Amino acid sequence: MLKGLFTTLKIALEKPVTTQYPEQRRPVHTRFKGRHTLKRYENGLEKCIGCALCAAACPADAIFVEASENTDEERYSPGERYASTYEINMLRCIFCGFCEDSCPTEAIVLGDQYEMSFGDRHSSIYTKELLLEPVSGDAETTPQKTKPGEFTRSVPVMQDPQD
Amino acid sequence: MTEAKKEKFIVPIGPQHPALKEPGNFEFTVDGEIVTDATVRLGFVHRGIEKACETRNYTQDMYLLERVCGICSHVHATAFVLGVEKLAGVQAPPRAEAIRVLAAELERIHSHLLWFGVAAHEAGFDTLFMYTWRDREVVMDILETLSGSRVHYSVNILGGVKIDIDQKLSDLIKKDMDFLEERTEHYMKVVTTDETFLGRTRGIGTLSRDRAKLLGAVGPTARASGVKRDVRVNAPYSGYKEFPVKMVIDQTGDLEARFVVRLKELYESYRLIREILEKIQPGEISTRIKRKIPEGEVISRVEAPRGELFYFIKSNGTEMPDRVKVRTPSLCNWGTITDVAVGHKLADMPMLLAGIDPCFSCNDRMVEIRSDSQPSQMMNWDGLRKYGIEYYK
Ligand code: SF4
Ligand code: SF4
Repeated sequence: MLKGLFTTLKIALEKPVTTQYPEQRRPVHTRFKGRHTLKRYENGLEKCIGCALCAAACPADAIFVEASENTDEERYSPGERYASTYEINMLRCIFCGFCEDSCPTEAIVLGDQYEMSFGDRHSSIYTKELLLEPVSGDAETTPQKTKPGEFTRSVPVMQDPQD
Repeated sequence: MTEAKKEKFIVPIGPQHPALKEPGNFEFTVDGEIVTDATVRLGFVHRGIEKACETRNYTQDMYLLERVCGICSHVHATAFVLGVEKLAGVQAPPRAEAIRVLAAELERIHSHLLWFGVAAHEAGFDTLFMYTWRDREVVMDILETLSGSRVHYSVNILGGVKIDIDQKLSDLIKKDMDFLEERTEHYMKVVTTDETFLGRTRGIGTLSRDRAKLLGAVGPTARASGVKRDVRVNAPYSGYKEFPVKMVIDQTGDLEARFVVRLKELYESYRLIREILEKIQPGEISTRIKRKIPEGEVISRVEAPRGELFYFIKSNGTEMPDRVKVRTPSLCNWGTITDVAVGHKLADMPMLLAGIDPCFSCNDRMVEIRSDSQPSQMMNWDGLRKYGIEYYK
Protein backbone atom coordinates (compact mmCIF):
# COMPACT_ATOMS: atom_id res chain seq x y z
CA MET A 1 0.00 0.00 0.00
CA LEU A 2 2.83 2.37 0.79
CA LYS A 3 4.21 1.72 -2.67
CA GLY A 4 0.86 2.62 -4.18
CA LEU A 5 0.66 5.82 -2.19
CA PHE A 6 4.17 6.68 -3.22
CA THR A 7 3.20 6.36 -6.88
CA THR A 8 0.20 8.60 -6.32
CA LEU A 9 2.39 11.19 -4.66
CA LYS A 10 4.99 11.01 -7.39
CA ILE A 11 2.42 11.48 -10.15
CA ALA A 12 0.71 14.29 -8.23
CA LEU A 13 3.94 16.25 -8.24
CA GLU A 14 4.49 15.82 -11.97
CA LYS A 15 3.62 18.48 -14.48
CA PRO A 16 0.12 18.02 -15.95
CA VAL A 17 0.16 16.62 -19.46
CA THR A 18 -3.02 18.34 -20.53
CA THR A 19 -3.28 21.88 -21.88
CA GLN A 20 -6.05 24.24 -20.86
CA TYR A 21 -7.16 24.62 -24.41
CA PRO A 22 -8.79 27.97 -25.10
CA GLU A 23 -6.31 29.79 -22.85
CA GLN A 24 -3.25 27.73 -23.68
CA ARG A 25 -2.57 26.67 -27.21
CA ARG A 26 -0.30 23.95 -28.37
CA PRO A 27 1.90 25.26 -31.17
CA VAL A 28 1.53 23.34 -34.41
CA HIS A 29 4.43 21.91 -36.34
CA THR A 30 5.83 23.47 -39.48
CA ARG A 31 4.32 20.84 -41.74
CA PHE A 32 0.87 21.19 -40.21
CA LYS A 33 -1.99 21.28 -42.68
CA GLY A 34 -4.53 23.78 -41.49
CA ARG A 35 -6.74 26.37 -43.14
CA HIS A 36 -5.67 27.60 -46.56
CA THR A 37 -4.21 31.01 -47.30
CA LEU A 38 -3.88 32.62 -50.69
CA LYS A 39 -0.45 34.20 -50.86
CA ARG A 40 0.74 37.45 -52.36
CA TYR A 41 4.03 38.57 -53.83
CA GLU A 42 6.03 41.19 -52.00
CA ASN A 43 4.73 43.88 -54.33
CA GLY A 44 1.18 43.07 -53.29
CA LEU A 45 0.09 41.20 -56.39
CA GLU A 46 -1.77 37.95 -55.84
CA LYS A 47 0.10 34.77 -56.63
CA CYS A 48 -3.03 32.98 -57.80
CA ILE A 49 -3.50 33.16 -61.55
CA GLY A 50 -6.88 31.48 -61.64
CA CYS A 51 -5.70 28.42 -63.54
CA ALA A 52 -8.05 26.16 -61.53
CA LEU A 53 -5.48 23.37 -61.38
CA CYS A 54 -6.15 23.10 -57.66
CA ALA A 55 -9.87 22.74 -58.29
CA ALA A 56 -9.19 19.97 -60.79
CA ALA A 57 -6.81 18.20 -58.43
CA CYS A 58 -8.91 18.42 -55.29
CA PRO A 59 -10.15 14.92 -54.41
CA ALA A 60 -13.11 16.31 -52.52
CA ASP A 61 -14.23 18.88 -55.11
CA ALA A 62 -13.99 21.54 -52.45
CA ILE A 63 -12.53 24.36 -54.56
CA PHE A 64 -14.35 26.57 -57.01
CA VAL A 65 -12.31 28.99 -59.14
CA GLU A 66 -13.50 31.45 -61.74
CA ALA A 67 -10.93 33.39 -63.70
CA SER A 68 -11.11 36.83 -65.29
CA GLU A 69 -8.73 38.82 -67.46
CA ASN A 70 -6.13 41.11 -65.98
CA THR A 71 -5.58 44.49 -67.56
CA ASP A 72 -2.74 46.89 -66.88
CA GLU A 73 -5.22 49.35 -65.39
CA GLU A 74 -6.64 46.76 -63.02
CA ARG A 75 -4.02 44.19 -62.27
CA TYR A 76 -4.57 41.52 -59.62
CA SER A 77 -1.86 39.06 -60.50
CA PRO A 78 1.01 38.72 -62.97
CA GLY A 79 0.11 37.35 -66.37
CA GLU A 80 -3.15 37.32 -68.22
CA ARG A 81 -5.65 36.08 -65.73
CA TYR A 82 -6.54 36.18 -62.07
CA ALA A 83 -9.10 34.43 -59.90
CA SER A 84 -12.15 36.65 -59.64
CA THR A 85 -13.96 34.06 -57.56
CA TYR A 86 -12.12 31.69 -55.30
CA GLU A 87 -14.11 29.62 -52.87
CA ILE A 88 -13.23 26.68 -50.68
CA ASN A 89 -15.94 24.71 -48.99
CA MET A 90 -14.38 23.88 -45.65
CA LEU A 91 -16.98 21.21 -44.96
CA ARG A 92 -15.90 19.31 -48.05
CA CYS A 93 -12.19 19.88 -47.69
CA ILE A 94 -10.28 16.93 -46.27
CA PHE A 95 -7.05 18.88 -45.69
CA CYS A 96 -4.99 16.60 -47.83
CA GLY A 97 -2.81 19.39 -49.16
CA PHE A 98 -3.04 18.24 -52.75
CA CYS A 99 -4.09 21.73 -53.87
CA GLU A 100 -0.84 23.04 -52.43
CA ASP A 101 1.11 20.45 -54.40
CA SER A 102 -0.68 21.13 -57.63
CA CYS A 103 -0.49 24.92 -57.68
CA PRO A 104 2.05 26.14 -60.25
CA THR A 105 2.67 29.43 -58.47
CA GLU A 106 2.54 28.26 -54.84
CA ALA A 107 -0.40 30.58 -54.36
CA ILE A 108 -2.39 28.33 -52.09
CA VAL A 109 -0.74 27.18 -48.90
CA LEU A 110 -2.19 25.24 -46.00
CA GLY A 111 -1.45 27.28 -42.92
CA ASP A 112 -1.46 26.68 -39.21
CA GLN A 113 -5.02 27.75 -38.42
CA TYR A 114 -7.18 24.96 -37.13
CA GLU A 115 -10.01 26.80 -35.46
CA MET A 116 -12.81 26.73 -37.93
CA SER A 117 -16.37 26.50 -36.81
CA PHE A 118 -19.48 27.81 -38.43
CA GLY A 119 -23.04 28.27 -37.36
CA ASP A 120 -24.52 27.24 -40.67
CA ARG A 121 -23.51 25.49 -43.82
CA HIS A 122 -23.37 28.61 -45.88
CA SER A 123 -20.61 30.16 -43.81
CA SER A 124 -18.47 27.08 -44.33
CA ILE A 125 -17.70 28.40 -47.79
CA TYR A 126 -14.62 30.56 -47.43
CA THR A 127 -14.46 33.25 -50.07
CA LYS A 128 -11.43 34.88 -51.60
CA GLU A 129 -11.65 37.83 -49.20
CA LEU A 130 -11.28 35.48 -46.24
CA LEU A 131 -8.54 33.37 -47.76
CA LEU A 132 -6.34 36.08 -49.23
CA GLU A 133 -3.58 37.23 -46.93
CA PRO A 134 -3.23 40.94 -46.25
CA VAL A 135 -0.57 42.88 -48.15
CA SER A 136 2.80 42.98 -46.47
CA GLY A 137 4.53 46.24 -45.55
CA ASP A 138 3.68 49.27 -47.61
CA ALA A 139 2.79 47.37 -50.77
CA GLU A 140 -0.31 48.42 -52.61
CA THR A 141 -3.37 46.20 -52.50
CA THR A 142 -4.98 44.74 -55.61
CA PRO A 143 -6.15 45.84 -58.15
CA GLN A 144 -3.00 47.81 -59.00
CA LYS A 145 -2.24 50.02 -61.93
CA THR A 146 0.92 48.78 -63.58
CA LYS A 147 3.13 49.68 -66.52
CA PRO A 148 2.32 47.71 -69.68
CA GLY A 149 4.65 44.82 -70.36
CA GLU A 150 5.93 44.52 -66.81
CA PHE A 151 4.01 41.48 -65.62
CA THR A 152 3.62 39.22 -68.61
CA ARG A 153 4.90 36.07 -67.03
CA SER A 154 2.40 34.31 -64.84
CA VAL A 155 4.50 31.52 -63.37
CA PRO A 156 7.62 32.75 -61.59
CA VAL A 157 10.95 30.96 -61.31
CA MET A 158 10.87 28.90 -58.12
CA GLN A 159 12.95 26.65 -55.95
CA ASP A 160 11.91 23.33 -54.49
CA PRO A 161 9.97 23.77 -51.26
CA GLN A 162 11.91 22.91 -48.12
CA ASP A 163 9.30 22.10 -45.53
CA MET B 1 -39.40 -27.16 -23.89
CA THR B 2 -41.50 -24.02 -24.18
CA GLU B 3 -40.48 -23.09 -20.67
CA ALA B 4 -36.84 -23.40 -21.58
CA LYS B 5 -37.39 -21.31 -24.67
CA LYS B 6 -38.85 -18.49 -22.61
CA GLU B 7 -35.67 -18.39 -20.62
CA LYS B 8 -33.74 -17.44 -23.71
CA PHE B 9 -32.90 -13.79 -24.15
CA ILE B 10 -31.58 -12.25 -27.29
CA VAL B 11 -29.29 -9.31 -26.68
CA PRO B 12 -28.72 -7.20 -29.77
CA ILE B 13 -25.74 -4.89 -29.59
CA GLY B 14 -25.36 -2.08 -32.06
CA PRO B 15 -25.61 -1.04 -34.81
CA GLN B 16 -25.16 2.53 -33.62
CA HIS B 17 -21.55 3.16 -32.99
CA PRO B 18 -20.64 6.16 -35.06
CA ALA B 19 -16.96 6.02 -34.22
CA LEU B 20 -16.48 2.49 -35.44
CA LYS B 21 -15.34 2.10 -38.99
CA GLU B 22 -17.48 -0.95 -39.56
CA PRO B 23 -20.58 -0.72 -37.44
CA GLY B 24 -21.92 -4.15 -36.76
CA ASN B 25 -25.01 -5.37 -35.06
CA PHE B 26 -24.46 -8.33 -32.78
CA GLU B 27 -27.22 -10.43 -31.40
CA PHE B 28 -26.29 -12.53 -28.46
CA THR B 29 -28.74 -15.17 -27.34
CA VAL B 30 -28.30 -15.66 -23.65
CA ASP B 31 -29.35 -18.35 -21.28
CA GLY B 32 -29.17 -16.62 -17.95
CA GLU B 33 -25.72 -15.17 -18.04
CA ILE B 34 -24.16 -17.54 -20.55
CA VAL B 35 -24.14 -16.64 -24.23
CA THR B 36 -25.45 -19.54 -26.31
CA ASP B 37 -25.47 -18.05 -29.77
CA ALA B 38 -24.12 -15.01 -31.54
CA THR B 39 -24.71 -13.47 -34.94
CA VAL B 40 -23.32 -10.42 -36.65
CA ARG B 41 -24.87 -8.01 -39.14
CA LEU B 42 -22.79 -5.56 -41.12
CA GLY B 43 -23.19 -2.79 -43.63
CA PHE B 44 -24.69 0.04 -41.65
CA VAL B 45 -22.31 2.72 -42.69
CA HIS B 46 -21.86 2.31 -46.37
CA ARG B 47 -20.15 5.39 -47.67
CA GLY B 48 -19.68 4.35 -51.26
CA ILE B 49 -15.96 5.05 -51.27
CA GLU B 50 -15.23 2.23 -53.69
CA LYS B 51 -17.73 3.61 -56.17
CA ALA B 52 -16.49 7.16 -55.68
CA CYS B 53 -13.03 5.96 -56.64
CA GLU B 54 -14.26 5.12 -60.11
CA THR B 55 -15.02 8.75 -60.84
CA ARG B 56 -11.71 10.18 -59.70
CA ASN B 57 -8.20 9.81 -60.97
CA TYR B 58 -5.59 7.67 -59.27
CA THR B 59 -3.96 10.42 -57.24
CA GLN B 60 -7.28 11.67 -55.95
CA ASP B 61 -8.29 8.13 -55.08
CA MET B 62 -5.24 7.76 -52.93
CA TYR B 63 -6.33 10.68 -50.76
CA LEU B 64 -9.85 9.38 -50.70
CA LEU B 65 -8.93 5.81 -49.78
CA GLU B 66 -6.68 7.08 -47.06
CA ARG B 67 -9.91 8.18 -45.43
CA VAL B 68 -11.47 4.74 -45.29
CA CYS B 69 -10.27 4.46 -41.73
CA GLY B 70 -9.32 7.12 -39.26
CA ILE B 71 -6.77 5.02 -37.43
CA CYS B 72 -4.94 3.02 -40.04
CA SER B 73 -5.02 5.57 -42.82
CA HIS B 74 -1.46 5.19 -44.05
CA VAL B 75 -1.76 1.48 -44.79
CA HIS B 76 -4.78 2.08 -47.00
CA ALA B 77 -2.88 4.59 -49.09
CA THR B 78 0.15 2.29 -49.16
CA ALA B 79 -1.87 -0.70 -50.32
CA PHE B 80 -3.44 1.34 -53.09
CA VAL B 81 -0.22 3.02 -54.15
CA LEU B 82 1.70 -0.26 -54.23
CA GLY B 83 -1.00 -1.77 -56.40
CA VAL B 84 -1.02 1.14 -58.83
CA GLU B 85 2.77 1.17 -58.99
CA LYS B 86 2.75 -2.51 -59.83
CA LEU B 87 0.25 -1.89 -62.62
CA ALA B 88 2.30 0.98 -63.99
CA GLY B 89 5.53 -0.97 -63.70
CA VAL B 90 7.11 1.71 -61.55
CA GLN B 91 9.29 1.05 -58.54
CA ALA B 92 9.49 3.66 -55.83
CA PRO B 93 13.04 4.55 -54.78
CA PRO B 94 14.44 2.68 -51.73
CA ARG B 95 14.40 5.76 -49.55
CA ALA B 96 10.71 6.25 -50.29
CA GLU B 97 9.99 2.62 -49.41
CA ALA B 98 11.82 3.02 -46.13
CA ILE B 99 9.87 6.15 -45.25
CA ARG B 100 6.64 4.31 -46.05
CA VAL B 101 7.59 1.58 -43.61
CA LEU B 102 8.59 4.16 -41.04
CA ALA B 103 5.18 5.83 -41.26
CA ALA B 104 3.45 2.46 -41.20
CA GLU B 105 5.24 1.39 -38.04
CA LEU B 106 4.59 4.71 -36.33
CA GLU B 107 0.98 4.23 -37.22
CA ARG B 108 1.04 0.72 -35.79
CA ILE B 109 2.38 2.08 -32.50
CA HIS B 110 -0.33 4.71 -32.38
CA SER B 111 -3.03 2.20 -33.26
CA HIS B 112 -1.92 -0.44 -30.75
CA LEU B 113 -1.60 2.10 -27.95
CA LEU B 114 -5.03 3.45 -28.78
CA TRP B 115 -6.48 -0.03 -28.74
CA PHE B 116 -4.72 -0.87 -25.49
CA GLY B 117 -6.24 2.18 -23.83
CA VAL B 118 -9.71 1.42 -25.10
CA ALA B 119 -9.49 -2.21 -24.03
CA ALA B 120 -8.37 -1.10 -20.58
CA HIS B 121 -11.33 1.25 -20.47
CA GLU B 122 -13.70 -1.59 -21.35
CA ALA B 123 -12.23 -3.56 -18.48
CA GLY B 124 -12.95 -0.68 -16.15
CA PHE B 125 -9.25 0.10 -15.74
CA ASP B 126 -9.45 3.79 -16.55
CA THR B 127 -6.11 4.72 -15.06
CA LEU B 128 -4.36 2.54 -17.59
CA PHE B 129 -6.49 4.09 -20.30
CA MET B 130 -5.32 7.58 -19.32
CA TYR B 131 -1.69 6.49 -19.22
CA THR B 132 -1.67 4.80 -22.62
CA TRP B 133 -3.40 7.70 -24.26
CA ARG B 134 -0.95 10.09 -22.73
CA ASP B 135 1.89 8.07 -24.19
CA ARG B 136 0.10 7.78 -27.48
CA GLU B 137 0.26 11.55 -27.69
CA VAL B 138 4.03 11.19 -28.09
CA VAL B 139 3.71 9.16 -31.25
CA MET B 140 0.90 11.38 -32.55
CA ASP B 141 3.25 14.29 -32.13
CA ILE B 142 5.96 12.55 -34.14
CA LEU B 143 3.45 11.87 -36.89
CA GLU B 144 2.43 15.50 -36.95
CA THR B 145 6.03 16.67 -37.14
CA LEU B 146 6.68 14.15 -39.88
CA SER B 147 3.66 14.65 -42.07
CA GLY B 148 1.71 17.66 -40.93
CA SER B 149 -1.38 15.79 -39.81
CA ARG B 150 -2.22 13.81 -36.76
CA VAL B 151 -4.61 11.47 -38.47
CA HIS B 152 -4.47 11.38 -42.26
CA TYR B 153 -0.80 11.69 -42.93
CA SER B 154 -0.80 11.80 -46.75
CA VAL B 155 2.77 10.53 -46.76
CA ASN B 156 2.41 8.64 -50.02
CA ILE B 157 2.22 9.86 -53.55
CA LEU B 158 2.10 7.66 -56.60
CA GLY B 159 5.70 6.65 -57.19
CA GLY B 160 7.15 7.60 -53.83
CA VAL B 161 6.53 9.71 -50.78
CA LYS B 162 5.88 13.37 -50.22
CA ILE B 163 7.94 13.97 -47.12
CA ASP B 164 11.54 13.46 -46.18
CA ILE B 165 13.26 13.02 -42.86
CA ASP B 166 16.33 14.86 -41.70
CA GLN B 167 18.77 14.36 -38.85
CA LYS B 168 16.83 16.53 -36.41
CA LEU B 169 13.63 14.62 -36.96
CA SER B 170 15.36 11.29 -36.72
CA ASP B 171 16.97 12.23 -33.39
CA LEU B 172 13.59 13.28 -32.09
CA ILE B 173 11.99 10.02 -33.14
CA LYS B 174 14.78 7.97 -31.57
CA LYS B 175 14.44 9.81 -28.29
CA ASP B 176 10.70 9.25 -28.24
CA MET B 177 11.11 5.58 -29.09
CA ASP B 178 13.27 5.13 -25.99
CA PHE B 179 10.58 6.73 -23.86
CA LEU B 180 7.84 4.59 -25.39
CA GLU B 181 9.85 1.41 -24.99
CA GLU B 182 10.22 2.10 -21.30
CA ARG B 183 6.50 2.69 -20.98
CA THR B 184 5.64 -0.47 -22.90
CA GLU B 185 7.85 -2.40 -20.51
CA HIS B 186 5.61 -1.12 -17.73
CA TYR B 187 2.40 -2.04 -19.56
CA MET B 188 3.70 -5.49 -20.23
CA LYS B 189 4.16 -5.93 -16.52
CA VAL B 190 0.63 -4.71 -15.82
CA VAL B 191 -0.93 -6.96 -18.44
CA THR B 192 0.84 -10.11 -17.29
CA THR B 193 0.79 -9.63 -13.52
CA ASP B 194 -2.13 -7.43 -12.48
CA GLU B 195 -4.72 -9.63 -10.74
CA THR B 196 -7.80 -7.62 -11.69
CA PHE B 197 -6.76 -7.39 -15.27
CA LEU B 198 -5.89 -11.06 -15.55
CA GLY B 199 -9.31 -11.91 -14.15
CA ARG B 200 -10.82 -10.31 -17.23
CA THR B 201 -8.38 -11.71 -19.76
CA ARG B 202 -6.70 -14.96 -18.78
CA GLY B 203 -8.40 -18.00 -20.22
CA ILE B 204 -11.24 -15.97 -21.68
CA GLY B 205 -12.22 -16.08 -25.31
CA THR B 206 -9.80 -18.83 -26.21
CA LEU B 207 -9.64 -19.29 -29.95
CA SER B 208 -7.88 -22.47 -30.96
CA ARG B 209 -5.39 -22.51 -33.78
CA ASP B 210 -7.62 -24.57 -36.05
CA ARG B 211 -10.67 -22.41 -35.45
CA ALA B 212 -8.66 -19.28 -36.10
CA LYS B 213 -7.44 -20.74 -39.37
CA LEU B 214 -10.89 -21.91 -40.34
CA LEU B 215 -12.54 -18.58 -39.58
CA GLY B 216 -9.86 -16.71 -41.47
CA ALA B 217 -8.72 -14.61 -38.56
CA VAL B 218 -6.01 -12.11 -39.41
CA GLY B 219 -3.52 -9.91 -37.67
CA PRO B 220 -2.79 -10.01 -33.94
CA THR B 221 -5.99 -11.99 -33.32
CA ALA B 222 -4.71 -14.83 -35.48
CA ARG B 223 -1.15 -14.55 -34.23
CA ALA B 224 -2.33 -14.80 -30.64
CA SER B 225 -3.80 -18.17 -31.56
CA GLY B 226 -0.57 -19.41 -33.05
CA VAL B 227 -1.43 -18.87 -36.72
CA LYS B 228 1.60 -17.69 -38.65
CA ARG B 229 -0.13 -14.96 -40.59
CA ASP B 230 1.64 -11.66 -41.15
CA VAL B 231 1.94 -10.18 -44.62
CA ARG B 232 5.07 -8.33 -43.59
CA VAL B 233 6.77 -11.68 -43.11
CA ASN B 234 4.89 -14.02 -45.44
CA ALA B 235 5.01 -11.77 -48.48
CA PRO B 236 7.26 -8.79 -47.73
CA TYR B 237 6.21 -5.67 -49.59
CA SER B 238 7.67 -2.22 -49.95
CA GLY B 239 10.49 -1.56 -47.47
CA TYR B 240 9.90 -4.72 -45.47
CA LYS B 241 12.15 -6.60 -47.90
CA GLU B 242 15.02 -4.49 -46.79
CA PHE B 243 13.97 -4.17 -43.18
CA PRO B 244 12.50 -7.52 -42.15
CA VAL B 245 10.31 -7.91 -39.08
CA LYS B 246 10.05 -10.82 -36.72
CA MET B 247 6.63 -12.38 -36.38
CA VAL B 248 5.20 -12.30 -32.88
CA ILE B 249 3.34 -15.50 -32.09
CA ASP B 250 1.55 -16.75 -29.03
CA GLN B 251 0.02 -20.20 -28.70
CA THR B 252 -2.51 -19.56 -25.93
CA GLY B 253 -5.19 -17.85 -27.99
CA ASP B 254 -7.00 -16.20 -25.10
CA LEU B 255 -7.54 -12.50 -24.49
CA GLU B 256 -4.33 -12.21 -22.53
CA ALA B 257 -2.40 -13.55 -25.50
CA ARG B 258 -3.96 -10.88 -27.71
CA PHE B 259 -2.72 -8.22 -25.31
CA VAL B 260 0.73 -9.75 -25.12
CA VAL B 261 1.05 -10.14 -28.89
CA ARG B 262 0.14 -6.54 -29.52
CA LEU B 263 2.50 -5.25 -26.88
CA LYS B 264 5.32 -7.41 -28.21
CA GLU B 265 4.62 -6.05 -31.65
CA LEU B 266 5.22 -2.61 -30.23
CA TYR B 267 8.77 -3.65 -29.31
CA GLU B 268 9.25 -4.94 -32.79
CA SER B 269 8.06 -1.62 -34.20
CA TYR B 270 10.43 0.36 -31.99
CA ARG B 271 13.30 -1.81 -33.09
CA LEU B 272 12.37 -1.49 -36.75
CA ILE B 273 12.00 2.28 -36.57
CA ARG B 274 15.43 2.60 -35.00
CA GLU B 275 16.91 0.34 -37.63
CA ILE B 276 15.35 2.37 -40.45
CA LEU B 277 16.61 5.62 -39.00
CA GLU B 278 20.10 4.15 -38.69
CA LYS B 279 20.31 2.56 -42.07
CA ILE B 280 18.23 4.75 -44.34
CA GLN B 281 20.14 5.63 -47.49
CA PRO B 282 20.09 9.13 -48.94
CA GLY B 283 18.51 9.40 -52.33
CA GLU B 284 15.45 10.33 -54.31
CA ILE B 285 12.09 10.08 -52.61
CA SER B 286 9.88 9.82 -55.66
CA THR B 287 9.83 8.84 -59.29
CA ARG B 288 7.61 9.98 -62.08
CA ILE B 289 4.53 8.03 -62.91
CA LYS B 290 2.21 8.50 -65.86
CA ARG B 291 -1.30 9.75 -65.30
CA LYS B 292 -2.74 6.96 -67.38
CA ILE B 293 -2.25 3.56 -65.83
CA PRO B 294 -1.93 0.60 -68.24
CA GLU B 295 -4.79 -1.84 -68.44
CA GLY B 296 -4.72 -4.71 -66.00
CA GLU B 297 -5.74 -6.09 -62.66
CA VAL B 298 -3.72 -6.21 -59.51
CA ILE B 299 -3.97 -7.48 -55.98
CA SER B 300 -2.13 -5.70 -53.24
CA ARG B 301 -1.82 -6.88 -49.66
CA VAL B 302 -0.35 -5.06 -46.70
CA GLU B 303 -0.34 -5.68 -42.98
CA ALA B 304 -2.47 -3.10 -41.20
CA PRO B 305 -2.30 -2.81 -37.40
CA ARG B 306 -5.39 -5.02 -37.26
CA GLY B 307 -4.35 -7.56 -39.83
CA GLU B 308 -4.16 -8.13 -43.49
CA LEU B 309 -5.54 -5.40 -45.70
CA PHE B 310 -6.44 -6.40 -49.20
CA TYR B 311 -6.86 -4.25 -52.29
CA PHE B 312 -8.01 -5.22 -55.73
CA ILE B 313 -7.56 -2.64 -58.45
CA LYS B 314 -8.70 -2.99 -62.04
CA SER B 315 -7.49 -0.49 -64.56
CA ASN B 316 -8.93 0.08 -68.03
CA GLY B 317 -6.06 2.14 -69.33
CA THR B 318 -7.50 5.54 -68.47
CA GLU B 319 -6.81 8.01 -65.69
CA MET B 320 -9.45 6.47 -63.48
CA PRO B 321 -9.65 2.95 -62.11
CA ASP B 322 -12.38 0.65 -63.34
CA ARG B 323 -12.90 -0.97 -60.00
CA VAL B 324 -11.34 -0.75 -56.57
CA LYS B 325 -12.21 -3.33 -53.97
CA VAL B 326 -11.15 -2.96 -50.37
CA ARG B 327 -11.30 -5.68 -47.75
CA THR B 328 -10.43 -4.45 -44.31
CA PRO B 329 -8.98 -6.67 -41.58
CA SER B 330 -11.69 -6.01 -38.99
CA LEU B 331 -14.18 -7.67 -41.29
CA CYS B 332 -12.27 -10.96 -41.13
CA ASN B 333 -12.13 -10.88 -37.39
CA TRP B 334 -15.83 -10.32 -36.73
CA GLY B 335 -16.36 -14.01 -37.43
CA THR B 336 -14.12 -15.01 -34.56
CA ILE B 337 -16.31 -13.08 -32.13
CA THR B 338 -19.43 -14.99 -33.01
CA ASP B 339 -17.45 -18.17 -32.57
CA VAL B 340 -15.70 -17.54 -29.26
CA ALA B 341 -18.64 -15.73 -27.68
CA VAL B 342 -20.57 -18.97 -27.26
CA GLY B 343 -20.23 -20.30 -23.74
CA HIS B 344 -19.00 -17.04 -22.29
CA LYS B 345 -20.74 -14.70 -19.93
CA LEU B 346 -22.52 -11.61 -21.17
CA ALA B 347 -20.19 -9.64 -18.95
CA ASP B 348 -17.23 -10.83 -21.02
CA MET B 349 -18.63 -9.48 -24.26
CA PRO B 350 -17.21 -5.95 -24.07
CA MET B 351 -13.73 -7.33 -23.56
CA LEU B 352 -14.11 -9.95 -26.26
CA LEU B 353 -15.25 -7.34 -28.74
CA ALA B 354 -12.47 -5.00 -27.74
CA GLY B 355 -10.05 -7.89 -28.03
CA ILE B 356 -10.17 -7.95 -31.81
CA ASP B 357 -9.59 -4.20 -31.93
CA PRO B 358 -12.56 -3.08 -33.96
CA CYS B 359 -11.79 0.64 -33.45
CA PHE B 360 -13.80 0.69 -30.29
CA SER B 361 -13.96 4.29 -29.32
CA CYS B 362 -17.63 4.81 -28.92
CA ASN B 363 -19.78 4.23 -25.92
CA ASP B 364 -23.26 5.14 -26.98
CA ARG B 365 -24.40 1.92 -28.51
CA MET B 366 -27.77 0.49 -27.66
CA VAL B 367 -28.25 -2.97 -26.29
CA GLU B 368 -31.69 -4.49 -26.33
CA ILE B 369 -32.54 -7.46 -24.16
CA ARG B 370 -35.47 -9.29 -25.65
CA SER B 371 -37.44 -12.22 -24.40
CA ASP B 372 -40.71 -13.84 -25.26
CA SER B 373 -42.37 -13.11 -21.99
CA GLN B 374 -40.96 -9.73 -21.11
CA PRO B 375 -41.07 -6.43 -22.95
CA SER B 376 -37.75 -5.38 -24.45
CA GLN B 377 -35.17 -4.08 -22.10
CA MET B 378 -32.85 -1.48 -23.45
CA MET B 379 -29.24 -1.30 -22.40
CA ASN B 380 -26.72 1.01 -23.95
CA TRP B 381 -23.08 0.19 -24.52
CA ASP B 382 -22.06 2.08 -21.43
CA GLY B 383 -24.53 0.06 -19.44
CA LEU B 384 -23.15 -3.18 -20.78
CA ARG B 385 -19.63 -2.05 -19.94
CA LYS B 386 -20.66 -1.19 -16.39
CA TYR B 387 -22.46 -4.50 -16.14
CA GLY B 388 -19.24 -6.26 -17.00
CA ILE B 389 -17.22 -4.25 -14.52
CA GLU B 390 -19.74 -4.75 -11.73
CA TYR B 391 -19.89 -8.44 -12.46
CA TYR B 392 -16.17 -8.86 -11.96
CA LYS B 393 -15.92 -6.73 -8.83
S1 SF4 C 1 -6.63 20.42 -48.97
FE1 SF4 C 1 -7.30 18.76 -50.34
S2 SF4 C 1 -9.51 18.68 -50.06
FE2 SF4 C 1 -8.86 20.64 -49.21
S3 SF4 C 1 -9.11 22.07 -50.88
FE3 SF4 C 1 -6.99 21.33 -50.98
S4 SF4 C 1 -7.05 19.61 -52.40
FE4 SF4 C 1 -9.16 20.03 -51.78
S1 SF4 D 1 -4.44 28.60 -56.31
FE1 SF4 D 1 -2.86 27.92 -57.73
S2 SF4 D 1 -3.73 26.15 -58.77
FE2 SF4 D 1 -5.43 27.21 -57.78
S3 SF4 D 1 -6.22 28.58 -59.36
FE3 SF4 D 1 -4.74 29.75 -58.18
S4 SF4 D 1 -2.81 29.52 -59.29
FE4 SF4 D 1 -4.19 27.90 -60.04
